[in-house]
Amino acid sequence: MAHMNKSEALRQGVLIFVFLAVLTALEFFVASAIGSVTLLAAIALVKFGLVAYYYMHIYKLNLNDQDADRRSDAYKLATNRLGLWLFLLSDTFVFGGLAVSRFNLLGLTRPPLNPTLGLIVTSVLLLSSFFMNRAEVSMEHGDRKNFILFTSLTLALGLAFVVGVLGVEWPSAIAEGVTPSVSAAGAIFFMMTGMHAFHVVTGLVFLLIILRNGARGLYSSEKHWAVEAATVYWHFIDVVWIFFYPALYLIGKLIK
Amino acid sequence: MRHFVIVGVLVVLVAVLTYVGLNSIGLMPVEASAQSVPIDWLWNLDVRVISFLFALIVVPIAYSLIAFRRKKGDTTDAEHIEGNTPLEITWTVVPLIVVLIFAYLGAYTLAEIRVVDPSAAEIKVRAIQWAWSFQYPEGFTSKELHLPVNKQVVLKMESSDVIHSFWVPEFRIKQDVVPGRITEYRVTPILVGSYMVRCAELCGASHAYMQAPVIVSSQADYDAWIASQKALAAAAAQTPAGRGEQLANTIGCRGCHTIDGSKLVGPSWQGLYGSQVTLSDGTTVTANDAYLIESIANPSIKIVKGFETTTAMPKFDLTDAQIQDLVAYLATLK
Amino acid sequence: MKKFFSSALARGLIWQVVGWALGAAFVTLIRILMGLKPLGIFFFTEPAWVFGGLVGAISFLAASGVISDWFKWAKGEETPEHHHDPDGWEKFINVSLDHKVIGIQYTLTALLLLVIGGIFSLIFRTELASSGLQFLTLQWYNTLMSLHGMVMIIGILLGIAGVINYIVPLLIGAQDMAFPRLNAFSYWLAPPAAVLLLSSLALGGFDTGWTGYPPLSARAPVGMQMFFLGVFVAGWSSILGALNTIATVARMRAKGMTAFRMPIFVWAAIATSIIALTATQLIGLSFQMVMFQRLFGMGFFDPAKGGNPILFQHLFWFYSHPAVYVFILPGLGVISELLPVFVRKPLFGYRWIALSSLGIALVGFLVWAHHMYTSGMNEYLSTPFMYSTLLVAVPTGVKFFSWVATIWKGKISSPIPTAFLFVLGGIVVFLMGGLSGPPNATVATDLQLQDTYWIVGHFHDTLFGGYVLPFFAAIYFWFPKATGRRMNETLGRIHFWLMTPSFIVLTLLMMRIGLLGMRRRIADYDAALGFDTYNLVMTISAFLIALSVLVFFINFFRSMKKGEPATGNVWNSRSPEWQVPSPMPAHNYDQPFEVVGEPYDYGLADSVYVRFAKEK
Ligand code: HEA
Ligand code: HEA
Ligand code: HEC
Ligand code: CUA
Ligand SMILES: [Cu+2]
Repeated sequence: MAHMNKSEALRQGVLIFVFLAVLTALEFFVASAIGSVTLLAAIALVKFGLVAYYYMHIYKLNLNDQDADRRSDAYKLATNRLGLWLFLLSDTFVFGGLAVSRFNLLGLTRPPLNPTLGLIVTSVLLLSSFFMNRAEVSMEHGDRKNFILFTSLTLALGLAFVVGVLGVEWPSAIAEGVTPSVSAAGAIFFMMTGMHAFHVVTGLVFLLIILRNGARGLYSSEKHWAVEAATVYWHFIDVVWIFFYPALYLIGKLIK
Repeated sequence: MRHFVIVGVLVVLVAVLTYVGLNSIGLMPVEASAQSVPIDWLWNLDVRVISFLFALIVVPIAYSLIAFRRKKGDTTDAEHIEGNTPLEITWTVVPLIVVLIFAYLGAYTLAEIRVVDPSAAEIKVRAIQWAWSFQYPEGFTSKELHLPVNKQVVLKMESSDVIHSFWVPEFRIKQDVVPGRITEYRVTPILVGSYMVRCAELCGASHAYMQAPVIVSSQADYDAWIASQKALAAAAAQTPAGRGEQLANTIGCRGCHTIDGSKLVGPSWQGLYGSQVTLSDGTTVTANDAYLIESIANPSIKIVKGFETTTAMPKFDLTDAQIQDLVAYLATLK
Repeated sequence: MKKFFSSALARGLIWQVVGWALGAAFVTLIRILMGLKPLGIFFFTEPAWVFGGLVGAISFLAASGVISDWFKWAKGEETPEHHHDPDGWEKFINVSLDHKVIGIQYTLTALLLLVIGGIFSLIFRTELASSGLQFLTLQWYNTLMSLHGMVMIIGILLGIAGVINYIVPLLIGAQDMAFPRLNAFSYWLAPPAAVLLLSSLALGGFDTGWTGYPPLSARAPVGMQMFFLGVFVAGWSSILGALNTIATVARMRAKGMTAFRMPIFVWAAIATSIIALTATQLIGLSFQMVMFQRLFGMGFFDPAKGGNPILFQHLFWFYSHPAVYVFILPGLGVISELLPVFVRKPLFGYRWIALSSLGIALVGFLVWAHHMYTSGMNEYLSTPFMYSTLLVAVPTGVKFFSWVATIWKGKISSPIPTAFLFVLGGIVVFLMGGLSGPPNATVATDLQLQDTYWIVGHFHDTLFGGYVLPFFAAIYFWFPKATGRRMNETLGRIHFWLMTPSFIVLTLLMMRIGLLGMRRRIADYDAALGFDTYNLVMTISAFLIALSVLVFFINFFRSMKKGEPATGNVWNSRSPEWQVPSPMPAHNYDQPFEVVGEPYDYGLADSVYVRFAKEK
């Protein structure tokens, strides 16, 4: 993929965001009108593909630089990238295990949760991913002012997401009788959202670090591995939610 | 070529000797169930293949070590042989076929083991830390499992606490007993005798002692036993102490408490009634009716000194009348 | 002594205890404020112990200094590329970024855990020497037995990490691992993990075996939680180590080292790391879920709340089965790596052996439920898992047959060098273990074998033959590389001939009594079964093994100081690390090398594997 100029990158970012938003709406519609699990899974996979390719630029892993100088920064950067993706692969197994547990325990039923609330927090996270992408693109073009702006927006939305899940969703679930200790359904709901929220919080810490260091001018358009790492990690959190959201809020029959 | 012939002969020799040797010492206990017959058949096949493969690998290595050992003063390297693709394919494909055959045979034998006789009698099995109890359709509960020979029975097994496993080595089969579900154990005893069911899944402190006699007898003996048990149950139900004893024996108290003074997980019941008991907070109480009733109904309130860190006594679902019966029974244990 | 107390290790341990106490006190304070019961049986309450344990582990890491570079990075500060290590033994108890030092740190820690786990086994084996309860209580038996299992397993994980760390960068011609700080971090997770694990001894122990099945593990004393935490932390060590290994092999190979020109051990390291990187998360998750069930009443595995105890077993074995291949693949790699050197012949069927490692690793992901044939899971699952399990025999067989073909007509020198003795012992013992696998894999026979000493025999043979013996072979083989001195051959032979036959006796008897009806994990057995003599002989064998380990340690420490100097290519090997003087220079190879031939072309005149760049 050739290096894009600023406006192309903007156009692409927006386009992907629109796709994702439409797919999320579609998901909501499919769940309430058709209820097909296969279709929901397919949509989630498409969303995942879009994020992984365009926002997380997974294609950058595909490098053929065996002959390059091992001590060059470019070579080390590619090694770092591989390390990060290996970490994400490993982390995927935690979330995969949680998803498997959810289906083992609940099958095609789901706990009584507020779907609108779910859609709202999902949208917040999605929007944060868009701004995260904008922040990274800004740094790629050495635009420090916009980098700070967009990173701050991502941070704010991420914080809103955590507050939404822990501060609004959890109490409302408890009010519905879904508590960690009353049933396995409650337990798995709190475990899944809790583990995800834990990752969001660590993501926020990364964001704080790159925001501070970015503001101090430590990154440049050539050298900003920390920004790239935080970005990819942040999108990864989004990807996890792409699967957890339907698994918790959309799929299956409601347990009374 | 000469080397291959010698090794070939040796491999066959060692394989046969290994198999004969293993077979002659008697690897498995007696076959006491219809289900053990196909299992032993497959097992025997396993032993043959294992003996052969063991010889096939160990003999050529040992032979090489002896026959091709470096001569004194020789400092050259050995022959340059990198590999041999047809050979590699052979020893990939042949084992592949062998394991597929084994998997097929495994599934086949499994199906044979699980054959259902619709007229099989049903006995309920309850596993608890650390005792077995067997509830017969005739309406009594026993600590021993009696089975008629040559009749299939199906055990419907439930656990009150943790996972246990029902295993009678002579029957060959084993099945876990899992809380929250009923698992099935289908067996057709074919050999009169007395065996032991031993819990095969680690279930806490006294796991080693979680066992119960299994007695396979002729139909006539079995019927007689059923009749005597029914009579005993009826008689015991007349006195509180009798009812209490029955209860204690069947709901699992005896997994933790002995009546001979020795200590398992809980204190022994021998001489308990009326004695002075020191509690964990240092105070002393007399083991009168009130104390014993409380100890059974709410075990966690007063803990006996020395038992703070062992597995705690569970709270049983007992009626007041049942508890009174139990205490009446305890009072008889001098 | 002063050097010890100022070391990273000592600082870490002290701060682990302090952090632990502070964390526990913090929770206790909160409990007081919330009006909950502040103290429990073991002084603190369970949540306090758990939180304290976590804080303690983090305090260890912070105090040891392995994470200080990352803090500097987060603050935007630069750190030097290389740290300078002190010269003497202190460098092994301080944070070092050098993969060779870290490899030795791992190896020493692994040996220590092997001894601790071994001593546990000696204690409970003595109890088992005759029927009846002699000197252990039931709870102590269970605790020691369970800890023996897990301490040994973690010992293995550290042991393979040690060998991989030391050897892999040398074999591929790298200066270091891809991420040296992460490498140090992975190692330094191990000591606090070991402390957590062993602390369960003081907190009531636990009685579940190394598998920790709920509901039993949901009821055991607080020690259970320390076991979970310890494994969790050690698991992260393993995950991050594996990540590093994969990145290193993918990115740091010398010029010309294509996939099929890598030394065979590197393939094994990769296969192992793929499993460790991914599957390990599942044991962490399953243990975490039980921890939370205990702490917050979350009923994942509690049938009364609609939970499913079998789910735990699926999650647990999804790791713990592939994990057994994590244990042995490096060991088998060591066997494949050393064979050609000692028989002076090329490795027979290099590509097949390389791919069989990957094959074992990948098929190994699909077989976990063979531990659950009797568990009450849906029976229709048994048959597919039987097929997949038996399939593993095929790539394993490829290795064995290729080894036989490698040894065939090989010129082995007399007397057989100790390292090679251990290779041969490994092959035979692992074969015994491997061949006892298929009967477990066929459901019908496993109904008899499951949870008996037959299984105990099966896995001791696989673990010993696939890990312990090759691990010793690796130590004897690379000891001169690390120290510039050889280990004593006579003591080595005593070690081998004491250890291997005793071990074979031990495990054959395990299998024998298992078939006859000896269950696993029992503190006592019925005298009527007639197993007393067998058990006595097993216990004696266990002590002979321990004696042999003692001989090994004497040899190891003596040779470090007084061993015969060996700075050259002791084994006349073609491998790159032997082409430079021993002990290995600080930054490995002064000149980078280029791979120009096949790794194992023994017997082919003037073929070379690596060529070093011309001196400047
Ligand atoms: C290093 C460790 C290791 C290794 C390599 C293996 C290897 C194998 N294991 Fe083992 N196993 C354990 C460690 C290991 N195991 C442990 C620790 C447990 C107990 C866990 C617990 O409960 O605590 C266990 C338990 C265990 C069980 C569960 C038993 C039970 O509890 O009921 C089963 C069942 O299928 C099994 C099967 C196998 C098989 C088929 C292999 C195969 O990979 C073996 C393959 C090798 C060969 C077969 C030999 C060489 C091959 C040839 C010569 C080719 C030709 C062969 C044929 C055609 C058959 N193992
Ligand atoms: C690598 C793994 C490994 C190794 C090497 C061993 C080694 C040994 N194991 Fe075990 N074992 C397991 C892994 C291992 N084990 C596992 C996973 C279990 C299952 C646990 C469970 O069921 O949950 C188990 C279970 C197990 C049991 C079954 C317990 C039961 O079910 O009740 C038994 C019984 O005999 C046993 C015995 C032994 C013995 C005698 C050795 C001997 O080889 C040990 C020999 C001793 C040493 C190696 C160290 C001694 C050294 C010294 C004393 C020298 C001290 C000197 C200096 C400090 C210089 N082990
Ligand atoms: C899991 C093991 C276990 C089981 C099962 C069990 N107990 Fe106990 N029991 C204990 C322990 C441990 C103690 C001592 C601690 C305490 O006082 O709670 C105890 C104490 C007692 C006491 C007080 C004894 C004394 O010395 O003061 C009585 C009475 C008693 N149990 C009766 C019963 C009865 C009746 C049953 C069956 C319905 C039963 N127990 C089942 C473990 C058990
Ligand atoms: Cu019940 Cu073991
Ligand atoms: Cu397995």
